[in-house]
Order: sequence, then structure tokens, then C-alpha cells
Amino acid sequence: MSVLRRVGLALFAPVLAVVVAVVISSAVMAALQVDPFRVFAVMVDFGDTPSQQVTAIVVVLNRAVPLFLAGLAVAIAFRMGLFNIGVEGQYRLATVLAAGVGAAVALPGPLHVLLIVVVAMAVAAIWAGIVAVLKVTRGVSEVISSIMLNVIALGIASFLLTGPLRGSPEGASIISTAEIPESGWVPSLNGVFGVLGLADPPRQLYGFLVVALVVGAVIAVLLNRTRFGFDLRAAGLSPSAASASGVDSRAMVVKTMLLSGAVAGLIGMPDLLGSTHAYTTDFTSGLGFLGIAVALLGRNKPIGIALGALLFAFLDRALVPLQIQDFPASVVTIIQGTIVLAVVVANEVARRVARRSAERGSGPAAAVAGDGSTGPGQAAGGAGEGTGAGVSRTTGAGQRTDERQETGA
Amino acid sequence: MATAGTSGGTPAGLSTGGTGAGGAGGEAPLAVELRGITKRFPGVVANRDIELRVRRGEVHAIVGENGAGKSTLMKTLYGEHRPDEGQILLDGREVSFRSPADAIAAGIGMVHQHFMLADNFTVLENVVLGSEPTRGGRLDRATARRRITEISERYGLGLRPDDLVEDLGVGDRQRVEIAKVLYRNARTLILDEPTAVLVPQEVDELFGNLAELKREGLTVIFISHKLDEVRRVADAITVIRRGTTVGTADPRTTTARQLAEMMVGAELPSPEIRTSTVRETPVLRLREVTVGAPTGRPPVDAVSLTVREGEVVGIAGVEGNGQAELVDAVMGLRPLAAGTVHLGDDDITTWSTRARREAGLGLIPEDRHRQGMLLDAPLWENRILGHQTRPPAVKGPFIDRRAARADTARIMRDYDVRAPGPDTLAVALSGGNQQKLIVGREMSARPRLLLAAHPTRGVDVGAQGAIWRLLEEARAEGMGILLISADLDELIGLSDTLHVMLRGRLVATLDPSVVTPEQLGGHMTGAQTAAGAA
Repeated sequence: MSVLRRVGLALFAPVLAVVVAVVISSAVMAALQVDPFRVFAVMVDFGDTPSQQVTAIVVVLNRAVPLFLAGLAVAIAFRMGLFNIGVEGQYRLATVLAAGVGAAVALPGPLHVLLIVVVAMAVAAIWAGIVAVLKVTRGVSEVISSIMLNVIALGIASFLLTGPLRGSPEGASIISTAEIPESGWVPSLNGVFGVLGLADPPRQLYGFLVVALVVGAVIAVLLNRTRFGFDLRAAGLSPSAASASGVDSRAMVVKTMLLSGAVAGLIGMPDLLGSTHAYTTDFTSGLGFLGIAVALLGRNKPIGIALGALLFAFLDRALVPLQIQDFPASVVTIIQGTIVLAVVVANEVARRVARRSAERGSGPAAAVAGDGSTGPGQAAGGAGEGTGAGVSRTTGAGQRTDERQETGA
Repeated sequence: MATAGTSGGTPAGLSTGGTGAGGAGGEAPLAVELRGITKRFPGVVANRDIELRVRRGEVHAIVGENGAGKSTLMKTLYGEHRPDEGQILLDGREVSFRSPADAIAAGIGMVHQHFMLADNFTVLENVVLGSEPTRGGRLDRATARRRITEISERYGLGLRPDDLVEDLGVGDRQRVEIAKVLYRNARTLILDEPTAVLVPQEVDELFGNLAELKREGLTVIFISHKLDEVRRVADAITVIRRGTTVGTADPRTTTARQLAEMMVGAELPSPEIRTSTVRETPVLRLREVTVGAPTGRPPVDAVSLTVREGEVVGIAGVEGNGQAELVDAVMGLRPLAAGTVHLGDDDITTWSTRARREAGLGLIPEDRHRQGMLLDAPLWENRILGHQTRPPAVKGPFIDRRAARADTARIMRDYDVRAPGPDTLAVALSGGNQQKLIVGREMSARPRLLLAAHPTRGVDVGAQGAIWRLLEEARAEGMGILLISADLDELIGLSDTLHVMLRGRLVATLDPSVVTPEQLGGHMTGAQTAAGAA
């Protein structure tokens, strides 16, 4: 009961937001004389043959992996109250440099991959670290500096791609870095489909999926179960209380941004190591900004972010089929946009509702704890000592019991 | 009916004062009358069957413990929320407020406990803020100045419209707040714990102002839990306990003790002077500690003091004279411009806050919401706060959730923190219970030195007594305590040594066993030396 209720409360805001977004975007589509039901039908249509269906799932998962990492990177900073808008620049710069390094060296299999990943994480962490250093030494808002560093990072990435790191021949339509040798590729997970008895699709399921899951688990443990995570969250909840408790807020800003940046460095890796093997002018962009939306959708919790990433990836997959069916691809963008807006509003509403009722003495949390683990028997027993006097603040245990009966009836 | 019911529950003699006569028919209608007000929040009845009768031109006190429902009642009267049942009558007519704007329009004004003034504005600007007189779209300063001067003279507020609020003392700021309300033509003023931030002399001035208001026919509703003050200033008293009015009392015939019994059903606790437990070993030594400021005088100026084992050293002073900065300096939250801090034999001047806490510093912060709690976090996480590096809640680099919950439950039991359980959000607790959790948490770490800043501020009488007892026990066991407080009885009652802080300096060291609150107040305002001659 307690668990159910808690999960229900946690899911309430995002589910409500998605429903509202679907309603609003349906209205927009209807206004544009596009039949929303046919659009949604195309979206959920994964194809007729098992092979097509599995392919669609692979496309969604492959898209979800970088989105998940981007959401994580943003969420780590969010949990400390920092808004890392610079994830975009951090991962782009990291990916081009990692691609350059990966192509320049020859190492045995796993080591080669490890080197590329470490370079990417280090570059993105350093880039994010600049934001942190500016904030703690000069008091520069991380929002401003990270937006500006995005522009600089994209400029540097273009310069590196067209200049020192260019591997494509003169006059090629798509400029790219030199290809990473095969020792630096991450093998696909397509073997899994055979084990599960599914059709082996033509698409490769990124092996980096496993890495992303591990990273997600590590971040979840780090944030929720460690001292470091406690300090980080405390600083996010109340900077003044955190410093009074002994958290060095300046060091915490630096550590958080380095961690956020390091995860941001991983965003480009699934694509780079799983399919493109080189950084190109048309390398996936915009993941950093989508990551903000995904983090919001997932309320900065790893599991929520995973669900948010899957939802966004599912919407993105529909882009091509929609265009084939002659629907404007922008409906996907409209849905994503309204989801983000609805989520922001719904989260805020849910937060205020929860807080207000908690302040009144019997918020959802109090109710969960009080009513939770046991049935009415315990509640009645506990009412005398703890619940009655404590929750009510103004009312005695006796009245509390009356109230319970009233509300129960 | 209701009136009979309330007097029935009251000790004999208490309800026979003027209030009963005032309520009788035939006279002018009551300025404010509340009938059967009930306000429910989900799962809680904050107010139940409230009966309040306030006559025009009187100072009517509402007393009750913290959390008894005074604030909820006043919010109802001020239109911040609507009651679920009952009627509000002003001058005999029933009214219904949808917002404070409606209440203001009906002539009700609220002076909040925490001032809501813009420091960098002048008195005039603060008073007119939100209802500015304009001429041609611009602030009409001439009209505003004329009206403010008029109000100030009429009620003896002594305000100068062009003073900057940041230059004003606490008492003056409060008068600005009162002027703000009067400027909006309030006929009934609600004062929420107005004396909480004042020293005795300022309290006297405030009471003088209230007398002026009364003389001009205004009605004052005065919320307090300081019974002596209430008896001095009020014409009638209504007592609230557990969300409902338990009776009325005539201040002329009721003693503070009787009032206290009505409030809590128990006698008021008082800090008592006990045998000294001071030992020789110093635990905290401050030498010429100075905290710098970018401009102006340093907030803490060459403060030297020593706290020994088993000693309570009290720092008295009007708020804003450097006490908060001194606490920050000792905790390592603010860099020192000069001076040294020793904890035991260690020079901790350059240590981080965490290292200081690990070395045995505990903190009961002045503002528990700002420095002591994570309001949106559960109690067990708040148990860890400030003790992130120490058992029992932490095992190596990991948080031990089970142990944290168990220890939170222990603190809740031992320190009488009333809450459903360790998973309750801290925001759901009343101020007194939050404070008891903080005290329990800090005591559990057995610090060598406890910095207690206003340890009983905003907590009810019962919790206050409990916290005093805990401090005394800790002192007897050899803990050194640096006590900063605005409650002079608390300072005199608990301290072994008493320093007075004024403008960042320690200006006097007094013997708490002989000093009176009035003398102490004199030192705190800097008037004692000058006034001694006068």
C-alpha cells in the first residue's frame, strides 16, 4: 500500500503531463487539419513482420541510450541546484576529440575503447569544469557561462573537424574525422535476439546500452546511498543548511560539474563506437538540450530518466514513418515540446501540492508514513503518541481520532 | 451556548471580567466577532469552534502555545484563507474575505512578526509601497509625506519619512510596519508576536504606541505567548489551546500562572540558577576574533572570550549586533579578518566547517530553516545533516539508511519529537518539534562545545522547558555551551557568565546571578552607561 501510493504519487505528475501534452498536440494537429488519430496510429505501428518490429525496437533503444546519458548528465547538476545547459557543447567537443584520438592510435580491443571513452569523459569534464571554476571564483552564473561555452565548443569542434582532425578526402560532401580502427568499436548486442528467440534485425543494437545501464545504476547509488550524494543533494535542497553541516559548497560545485561533464562526455559514445566510427558534420546534435527535457520528465531520478528517454526515443522513431506517410514531421516536435511544458507545470504543481499539504501537517509523505506500513489498527495505536499530537500540531489526540473517523466515513 | 461553554471550561473567576459585560447587548457592536470558526486542513482541524469578541478601542490579547492555532486564526481574520464553518463579523456586519486585499479594504491590518520591509528604501517608500499615491502617473511624494507625518504625529510613532530603513533599529522598523497598516486606513490592527524581537525598553515604547492607538479609537489584536507582557498591555485576553478558545480572562484579576495553566494545563517552566559545574579546562577560546566587512565597521570586532567545560557562556544583545556573524565565524562559515579560535588545545582558525564539527563542535542554528534543516527531506536525512562523516548513520562512504532511520526513531522517542515517523518530511513538523529534532541530533553527537543560537525561539512552553533541561544536563556532564539568545530570562537563567554584545564588540561582562533583565536591556542598547548618570 505504502509503496503503491508512493509510486502513484511519483508517477502522477509525469503521466498527467503526457496525457495533457497528447490532448494539446491533438488539438494543434486538428487545427492544422492533420488527423491526430492517424498520426498516433503511425507512431505505434512498428511494422508487420517480426523483423520490422524488432528493428523498430532497436531504433528506439539506440536513440534512448544517448538520451538517457544526456538526461543523467543534466540531472546530476540539477540535484545540486545547478543548471548545466552546457551538456550540448561538452559532448560535441568531447566526441570530436575522442574520435580524433581513437583514429590516431592503434591499441588492442578493450583498451582502445577504454581510451576513447576516457578521453571523451575527460574533455567534457574539463569543459564543464570551466563553468564551475568561473562560478566559484568569479560568481558567474552557470547558466550564462555554459550557454556561452556551448557556442565556443561548437566552434572549436567545427574547426577541429575541418582542420587538424579531418580524415575525409578533399571535396567530400560530408566532412568527417578519420575512421576509428575496428579495435575501437563496441560490438553490437544482436546476439541477444537469438537467445530470446527473436528475429535478428538488420540494425545493430548498441553494445553501449550495457555501459549506460551500469552508469545509471552507479549514479543512482552515488546520489542516494553515499555520503557524497547526500552532500550533493543537501546542497541542492538548501545551500545554507548544507554549508552549516560542513559541506564545502565551492568544492561541491566543482565536483558536481566535473561529474556531470564526465557523464556528458559519454553521450556521443553509443553512436561513435556503435555505428558511425567517426565524427562527421552530420553527427547527432541537440542531445544536450533534449537531455534537459528528459531530466525534467524523469524528475532527475535515474529510473525516471530512463523512462523519459524511452518516451522521447519512441517519439523520434516516428519521424521517418510519418514523413513516408506524408505527415509533417514537426508533429513529433510539437508533442515533445508540449510534453516538456506540461511536465514543468505539472512538476511544479505536484511539488506545491505536496509541500502545502505537508505544511498543513498531513501531506502525502506524512500520510504515507502514518497510514503506510500497516492498516488502521496501527494507525489507531500510533495516533496517541506520535501521529495525533505531532501531525495535528493544534489538535489533541482525541480530536485526531475523530477526524480520522470523519475522513474515513 | 458557546459563551457558556467556554466559561464552563475555565477556572472559576477567570471569565467574570469585563468581557462578559462587554458582550452584553445594548452597547456598540463589537469591532471584531468570530462565531464558531472552524478551519480544517486535510486530516487536521487547525481551528475548532473559535469564539472571539473584541470590543472597539481595546487591546485584545490572544495567547496560546506555539502551534495552538493562533496563526491559523489570524490568517482567517486577515483573509489569507476562508474558514470552513463559522462567521466573521466586523462592527456587527457579517463579512467574507477572499483575500487580504478584502480584509485591508474592510479596515483590518496585519503587522507580521517578521518585518516585510525593503532595506534600501526610505520610510516613506516602504509605507506607500503597494498603495502609492500618484499624480500624473508618478509617485506623489508630497501627499505621501504629508499623510505619513500626520499619522506619525497623531499616534506618536516618531517616524522621519526620509530615513533609510536599513539605518533603523528594530523598534523603529516595527513602527514603520504599524505606519504601513495605518496608512491603509486600518481600524483594527493585528500584531503577531510583536515583542519577540524587542528589548524591554523597546517593548515599553511599543506599549506606549499601542496606548496612543487605543486612545484614537483603534482596535488592537495582540498575539503573544509572553504572559507578563500580555497582562501589562491587554484590556481583555482570549486563550487558545489545541485549536479552540478555552476561555477569556481579565488581565487585572488574573495572574500569569493562572493564564499559563489555561494555556498549557501546566505550570510555566523557568530556567533556574543551579550550582556551578564550571571546570578549569577551556574548550573554546576566542582571541581578538574579527570578521571583516567590505564596507563600514566590522560586524565582529576583536571579540575575546573563553568557554570552559561545564560552563554556559551567554551572549546578550539586540539582534544584528554581530551575534550571527560570531556564530558563523566559530563554525568556520565566515573567514576571519583577524584573531584565533581554539577548540581545546587545537588551533582551529583555518579548519573547515566539517573538520570543526568532527572535532566536537555542535550547532543549534539561529534560523533552523536556513541552517538547520532540509525541509523537503525526510527526518532521517535531517538526522544525518551535519553528521555526514560520523556513525551511526554513515558507514564508510555510504549512508546507512537503516541505522539512520533507527537513530531518528530513537531521537524522536528520547527528545519527544512528535511526528508520524522517520520518513515524514521535515516541513510537516511544527517549529517546536523541528527544534527538538535539531537539539536531539546535535546532542547525540556529544559535542565538546555546543553553539546554541536562540535555542528556544518559536517553540512552545513545553518544548522550551525540555530544551532548557537538556542544556543543563549537558552542561553538568561537562559540555561547554555558547548561548546566544534574545530571551533575557533564558540568558540570565542558564548562563554562568554573561557577555553583552553591541555593534560587534563585547561591551560588558555581567554576573547573571545578580543582573536584572532591565539592567541587561540597558547594556544591550548601549544606554546603560549613559543612562546611569541620568
